[in-house]
Amino acid sequence: MTPAAWLCLLSPLGASVLITLAGTRISRRAAGYLATASVAVSFVAAVVAFVAVLGRESENRSDLTTAWTWLSAGNFEVGLTLLVDPLSIFMMLVVSGVGSLIVGYSIGYMDGDDEERRYFAYMALFVFSMPLLVEGGNFLLLLVGWGLVGLCSYLLIGYHHDRPSAVAAAKKAFIMNAFGDATMALAFFLLIQRIGSLEFAAGFDWAEGAEGSWAVNLVALGLLGGAVAKSAQVPLQTWLPDAMEGPTPVSALIHAATMVTAGVYLLVRTAPVFEAAPHVQDLAAGLGAFTLVLAGLIALVQVDIKRVIAYSTMSQIGYMFLGAGLGAYANAMFHLMTHAFFKALLFLAAGIVIHALAGEQDMRRMGGLRRVLPRTWLAFLVGSLALSGIPPFSGFFSKDAILASALDAGWYGQLLFAVGLAGAFLTGLYTFRMVFLVFGGEQSAYAREHVHRPDRSEPWVWMGVTVGVLTVGAVVAGWIQIAGIWHPLADFLHPVAEPLVEPSGTQDAIASLLAVGLGLAGIWLAWLVYADRRMTVPAARPLRALLEHKFYFDEAYDWLFYKPGVWLARGLAALVERPVVGGSLTGIGIGARRAGGEVAEAQTGLVRTYALVIAAGVATLALVFVWVR
Amino acid sequence: MDWLATILVFLPVAGALVVWLFPWPRQSAGALALLVALAEVGVWINALIRFDFGAQGLEFEQRTEWFSDLEVSYHVGFFGYSLWLTGLTVVVLAAAIGYGLWSGRDRPRAYYGLMLFLTGAVVGVFAAQDLLLFYVFWEAMLIPLYVLIGVWGGAGRLGATIKFVIYTMAGSLLMLAAVIVFGLSQNTFDLVDSGRSGSAWLFLGFAAAFAVKAPLFPLHGWLPDAYRESSPEVAAVLSGVVSKAAVYGFLRIALEKFPGPVDDFRNLILVLAAAGLVYGSLLAFRAPDLRGIVAYSSLAQLGLITLGLFAGNQAGLDGAVLQMVNHGLVSAALFMLAGGIERRAATGELGRLGGMARGRPALATLVMATGIIALAVPGATTFAGEFLILAGVFRQGWGWAVVGAAGIVLAAMYMLRFISAVLHQEPGPAVSEDALDLRPAELGILVPLVGCLLALSVWPAAITDRSFSPGATERLEAAGWTGYAPITANDGCVQRGLGISCPEIRTAP
Repeated sequence: MTPAAWLCLLSPLGASVLITLAGTRISRRAAGYLATASVAVSFVAAVVAFVAVLGRESENRSDLTTAWTWLSAGNFEVGLTLLVDPLSIFMMLVVSGVGSLIVGYSIGYMDGDDEERRYFAYMALFVFSMPLLVEGGNFLLLLVGWGLVGLCSYLLIGYHHDRPSAVAAAKKAFIMNAFGDATMALAFFLLIQRIGSLEFAAGFDWAEGAEGSWAVNLVALGLLGGAVAKSAQVPLQTWLPDAMEGPTPVSALIHAATMVTAGVYLLVRTAPVFEAAPHVQDLAAGLGAFTLVLAGLIALVQVDIKRVIAYSTMSQIGYMFLGAGLGAYANAMFHLMTHAFFKALLFLAAGIVIHALAGEQDMRRMGGLRRVLPRTWLAFLVGSLALSGIPPFSGFFSKDAILASALDAGWYGQLLFAVGLAGAFLTGLYTFRMVFLVFGGEQSAYAREHVHRPDRSEPWVWMGVTVGVLTVGAVVAGWIQIAGIWHPLADFLHPVAEPLVEPSGTQDAIASLLAVGLGLAGIWLAWLVYADRRMTVPAARPLRALLEHKFYFDEAYDWLFYKPGVWLARGLAALVERPVVGGSLTGIGIGARRAGGEVAEAQTGLVRTYALVIAAGVATLALVFVWVR
Repeated sequence: MDWLATILVFLPVAGALVVWLFPWPRQSAGALALLVALAEVGVWINALIRFDFGAQGLEFEQRTEWFSDLEVSYHVGFFGYSLWLTGLTVVVLAAAIGYGLWSGRDRPRAYYGLMLFLTGAVVGVFAAQDLLLFYVFWEAMLIPLYVLIGVWGGAGRLGATIKFVIYTMAGSLLMLAAVIVFGLSQNTFDLVDSGRSGSAWLFLGFAAAFAVKAPLFPLHGWLPDAYRESSPEVAAVLSGVVSKAAVYGFLRIALEKFPGPVDDFRNLILVLAAAGLVYGSLLAFRAPDLRGIVAYSSLAQLGLITLGLFAGNQAGLDGAVLQMVNHGLVSAALFMLAGGIERRAATGELGRLGGMARGRPALATLVMATGIIALAVPGATTFAGEFLILAGVFRQGWGWAVVGAAGIVLAAMYMLRFISAVLHQEPGPAVSEDALDLRPAELGILVPLVGCLLALSVWPAAITDRSFSPGATERLEAAGWTGYAPITANDGCVQRGLGISCPEIRTAP
């Protein structure tokens, strides 16, 4: 299964390099086909690895192979090590599976863009980086994959590089993620100092032995910093909504289905470290709960269709953090997978809407699209129901499993359970607000004027087929694990991350009943306000302003970090660099010129005199050195 | 008797003489110089293949008496790390000569002769195993630079040259005095044979020269002007190669011969290095032009390298050597890219640039690739170097690593600014429609540099494993590092995981 894991990595990398080097020698369409094929190969390789691993005993499913020593210093060595185990294979399947659908969709969506080749090279590079992240067999390689997916995210958010807002959003995403990279690196330095190694096994053993010590807590905090930045959780969440500047399929693949969920993967992969630092683990769960409500509230007032979905992504990852932080690892991963399906579906269906409306993303100019785009409407509705956790769609099974686990995790878990329920209500409300605004009611003037219907041309076929497959996925993906009845996924992941909580049947039932009830209540309220128009939104200006400014995080960070940084830099340039560092020499220069005039008489023009003087000077210095020694 | 080191030093010098002395026509002087530089690269590759990284001590050693009564000899040879720095030198100088040839320089014979002479002098600095010889090469390296900046530079070249001369002369004279006193007190000028010294003043004499030349904060007054006013390829050599000669001096002389003073002054130097890292990064972030960003980022990177050198353990040292090579390649590529952009837009002001990505895929790809490597994205060789350096200096105190990590974030900020200012948004007022993409000649110069960086990214251990004799620290000692206190275990040093800690080392004066 290791060769398959390598193929899974190298196939998209090869495609990316090939497209870059070939330049204009291949057509735009060919670049799209090449990228899609390479990602499909990656998926097949992941399936082969999956089948191979199923053929083994469940205790013997982890392979660690080192290709070569990547970095070394004395007896400290870090290899280019691949780890193939149930968790990494699970992630590989999700990434390359959803990835191949989304890259295929892009052939249609990006048709006619004049820099398609660059787009597909970046996408393929991402599908190389993400498996590298999940297959990385030690902490350093994990960080390498971590950084490379961040790089791809930067490249793709800023894909429309002539748009200032896209460039700014790309930079913001990169820098906030660089902050997370830095906290992770610091955690690894501490680990190196403690154990001289960055192997997972060594780190986990040490964590177990040093449980509760400040060092373990710091390492866990550093890891959490990285996870929070990558997964856009409070307090490092502000880059994700801006990241919607990227093309819609990018939002679907990177900023919904895969990369942003890497933080959840990290929490599960390094669970032994977090279990040795229970307070930090609780903090992770708490941040997740906080984020899921915060994002749900902000989503209520967004008018851009992609931003609503972006906030729902933050909110859903909040659920995953909640689950992983409370030790319900398999349930968090389960939700990660179903979320990949239904969120990719929502984004891609939104992409069709945007495409059909000539690039319009403002929901206030949409409306009544269900008659024009009936199949898209159906797909979007399936995605929305899955997101709201309505049975039998996939989100129901995975989200309720997390909530049930929370019920089993003591008073803290029950508190977070209540928060999660509030989130379920908000999810139903904001999701169906979006559904009714976009598809319900009468066609808006803008829509009547601009809409162009899908036809049977190749771009539309690519988009239609991939969305169709994802629609099926968003329905059935949840059925692979039904609480209390069967749990193959939990069994598969069990050897990697043993859950800390096991909810009982009653807890499952309570969680499901409450969550579905509240989700339906949210949908009902959305119907009352946005479809039936029986109720209107209360004005509540201060609250509205608070939500529209996303709780003023951007403004606060601007004043706390960016502006002081700029002031400091300007101040240093004006007060230190020019007058002191540069000026000292100008002073010397002026002094030298003045002195030079006076000493000019010493210029006899005789080289021997000069030589003598220089020798005397050096000798004096030498004497001084000998003397003061 | 192995002549390889001598050939590496004197092949370019001989080339310089040939270029100077014969009346070559305009184009052929440059072509000949490039040929010699490429031959030098070939000789270096040969040396790399023949180099026994498992061996203890000097390779390609050659020694001839010079002034026998003073124990001065012509003594050259290479350690692993000096071989890598030599490789950096010959590659960057070949690229610089190629760049000069491509953009056309006045008085070509003088110009190319000086570039070749400079190559030989820098290689000589890395090869010299005798202090006096080291000093000779050191001065031989500075003189062509004065001329190259002063004659072929931009409008403000005169002021830049004066600053550069004053700063480096002051440092050099201090070093000369230190060399003489050290050699006389040791009864030998040989770097391998001589023992340690505990003299703080001698240490400071050497350290001042190296700190000025690197430069280290706050002795960088000459840097912004010199990097802005010299021609791009000379700036590339200055920041890519010559600065490495200075930090090499720290490594070969200051650390090895002055273990006691190094311990005493460690915190001071670490403070200056960390300050330089943050200060340089902040100024790079607000610099108004391309060269300013690269210049101040150089200051920051040299601070980082110094952090590694004075971390006092293997991780810091290995990381520092790797980062020296990385930064040499990165900053050379950045300066030459900046030069190419300035040729097209007639300005390096960020506000007047922009939008160059559209229609110029080669330029966009190279600026993006170099910029991304420069900001040390995880996975790049620069990241590997920074990681080891910070992991090393973490052991001196976690605060250093925190400052270094802040430097990583700041590096992302200024490099992204560089990239965006050139490539992104609407075309700036200075960027005309018909500004061309990179020409094949420019690609021929830049692609090998970026290619080296990518190759190192795949396998940074190629350098970290092969800088100091392999693996264990005790073998390091045998490799000529007898003087470096934290390496000898019998000095009461304690091995702690990666590094070795030696709280109190004193050698009799």
